[in-house]
Amino acid sequence: MDFDAIVVGSGITGGWSAKELTEAGLKVLMIERGREIRHQQDYATETKAPWEMPFRGIGDAALYDREYPVQKLNRHFTEFTQNHFVNDAENPYAKGPGTEFTWFRSYQLGGRSLTWGRQAYRWSDYDFGANARDGHGTDWPIRYADLAPWYDKVEQFIGVSGQNEGLAQLPDGKFQPPMAMNAVEQHLRAAIRERWPERCLTIGRTANLTQAKLEEGRAPCQYRSICARGCSYGAYFSTQSSTLPAAQKTGRLTVITDAVVEGLDHDPATGRITGVRWIETKTKQRRRATSRIVFLNAGAFNSVQVLLNSVSEAMPGGLANSSGVLGTHIMDHANTLSAMALMPGFEGHTSFGNRPTGVILARYRNMETMDGAGHSRGFSFQGGALQSNWGAGKREAGIGADYKEKLRHPGMWRVVLVGFADCVPRPTNRLTLDRSRTDANGLPVLKVDFAFGKEEHAALAQAKADATEMLTAAGGKVLMGSDSPGPGGTAIHEMGGARMGLDPATSVLNKWSQAHDVANLFVTDGAQMSSSACQNPSLTYMALTARACDAAVSMLREGRI
Amino acid sequence: MTGTASPSWNRRDFLGVAALVALAAGLPAAAVRLSELPDDEAPSEALRALLREVSQLVLPRTGTPGAGEVGTGDFVLLALAHGLEGARAPNAGAALPAFASFARPDGSLRHADWLEHELNRRAGGNFLAAPGRASLLAALDVEAFAEGVGAHPWRTIKALILTGYYTSETGGAQELRYELVPGRWDADLPATPATVAYSSDWTAVDFG
Repeated sequence: MDFDAIVVGSGITGGWSAKELTEAGLKVLMIERGREIRHQQDYATETKAPWEMPFRGIGDAALYDREYPVQKLNRHFTEFTQNHFVNDAENPYAKGPGTEFTWFRSYQLGGRSLTWGRQAYRWSDYDFGANARDGHGTDWPIRYADLAPWYDKVEQFIGVSGQNEGLAQLPDGKFQPPMAMNAVEQHLRAAIRERWPERCLTIGRTANLTQAKLEEGRAPCQYRSICARGCSYGAYFSTQSSTLPAAQKTGRLTVITDAVVEGLDHDPATGRITGVRWIETKTKQRRRATSRIVFLNAGAFNSVQVLLNSVSEAMPGGLANSSGVLGTHIMDHANTLSAMALMPGFEGHTSFGNRPTGVILARYRNMETMDGAGHSRGFSFQGGALQSNWGAGKREAGIGADYKEKLRHPGMWRVVLVGFADCVPRPTNRLTLDRSRTDANGLPVLKVDFAFGKEEHAALAQAKADATEMLTAAGGKVLMGSDSPGPGGTAIHEMGGARMGLDPATSVLNKWSQAHDVANLFVTDGAQMSSSACQNPSLTYMALTARACDAAVSMLREGRI
Repeated sequence: MTGTASPSWNRRDFLGVAALVALAAGLPAAAVRLSELPDDEAPSEALRALLREVSQLVLPRTGTPGAGEVGTGDFVLLALAHGLEGARAPNAGAALPAFASFARPDGSLRHADWLEHELNRRAGGNFLAAPGRASLLAALDVEAFAEGVGAHPWRTIKALILTGYYTSETGGAQELRYELVPGRWDADLPATPATVAYSSDWTAVDFG
């Protein structure tokens, strides 16, 4: 088999690569390690009620303990969605001494685009300039202006609803109309702004449509907020709802599922990738295809694994690793529930429908003034105001008719603010292959070494104090808060490992997401990130992918690769 | 454990009985759907009757059927065996020494056996035949939720009774409101003391 391009992975960036490259006229092969999931046909639990599920939607905890001990910790993992997550027992990974890392994965057509949180934020020059500013990591070879038009393109295609606020640290975008904030959130926004004019709480910018995209067969959000089951309305962005049909429409896409990529073949004479090798997971047969260019979109850690496993005599430390930094400087946002408060005074308010997004309180520390206490980067908050329901009854005494009557009505309003702190890129946080262990396909398992440092702990300490102060100022009664990050991976924003940089001696990729060492290799998922920012990264992955595809096609046409 | 499972009890019988109970109550069989339990977790009929009654006492019939009537007792037994609400935490016996005699070999508590023992003790005999059962249970409930009391097996059982009821069709869609496809988002509506909550408010279910 020979193609113009091979795309490894079908998730958020794989779908974008397939779309952009096929629309540019290339014949593309997409290889997905997991099973096929067809849009509108294979969302098996989408319309189920709790009483139609064996364990009422909560799931079989004993089974989860045995086979999903990591995935069960994901807040989107339920009995309704467990078929969209990997079985941990069948997909092992290793951890270094002292490492706590929860690696949440979805091996299927569409990857984690089916289960993602859909928060879509632009990064700013505070983020692209962060490494140069404080000396951690290596400088990004791009700035916001390089990416702005690609953010425009991506937002308009996937559909992002949100409110433009004119914030330098959270740039405006091409948004569909925002979803409204509820009464408590509106109050909170006003109360915070009154005392801290530079702090902006706004509705989450989410890849859920508030206006139909009929030309793409996508209906607006129905306010179910059960997105991770799969959405037959196509109302949230996923590979299935958006990029895959666009790519298939060209007639130039071939998709292979149940095929895990083992490695890339490299010709030392030409310095090029000459083929992609994979294992059919059902038959264990090995297959190979060739192409002019390869896009690695297997997910940050798995793309690094493919490179580390692609050793050759010329590249014994892994493909595109002449710098020796492949696998290093991995990151994930340090993440914790900074504060939760009761918000009395809103008992006369409620809402209808399930809004599939919360709110965001944009970064405000360490911008023009370095006012971080013990840290040099940023943190932001996501969360929202919600009313409790019957679940509150689990925490209180009571039985009988009066108790049942109480649980019949919406409970107190509460606000939660979850802190997301920038993660400093460190060489000691890294991925390697544990060749002493293999998975079901005979591939060496990935080993994660990861720890947060004093910067992240300091940021979350300040986030807790700030959140407490803001909620109290808004009339809230703070019940609890934390300044301890969850294990690495908790934010599900693992990134880095094949970082972009100016210098081939200290980075894996150049400013086009192209390997310094291998001209026809592009890595455009989270592996390419050089810093983490403190907002969700997926929109930036997509924009970088679209930009890299454009560059790659130009290079092909000009005969440069 | 004062009751024992019938020697001939098996999953098929359990499902069959459950379905008959459901039909007799005019309820869909799915309300008490059960999956396979290992033999050593098979509940006795006495235990099933106890959990049914206790569920009904916690959430009795009002304008809608009570929890016991819709199969919540069986759900609780299923959920306890499968570890929902942390019911199979292996260190529970050590963490709660007062209840250690009800620990399984793996250290987890046999919550239902403990409850049967505890309620019979409080009743001075068979709880199910005792007068004032609601008062006896309420006393246990108050003790379990008293300030300073941490983990307690009754808290686990009660949590599962609530879960079983409000995720049943009766609890979720009759006692509360259920809307799978709201179709719109109304951010700010007036609420009164009569406003009925939605069991399909998934954020509240997750975090409420």
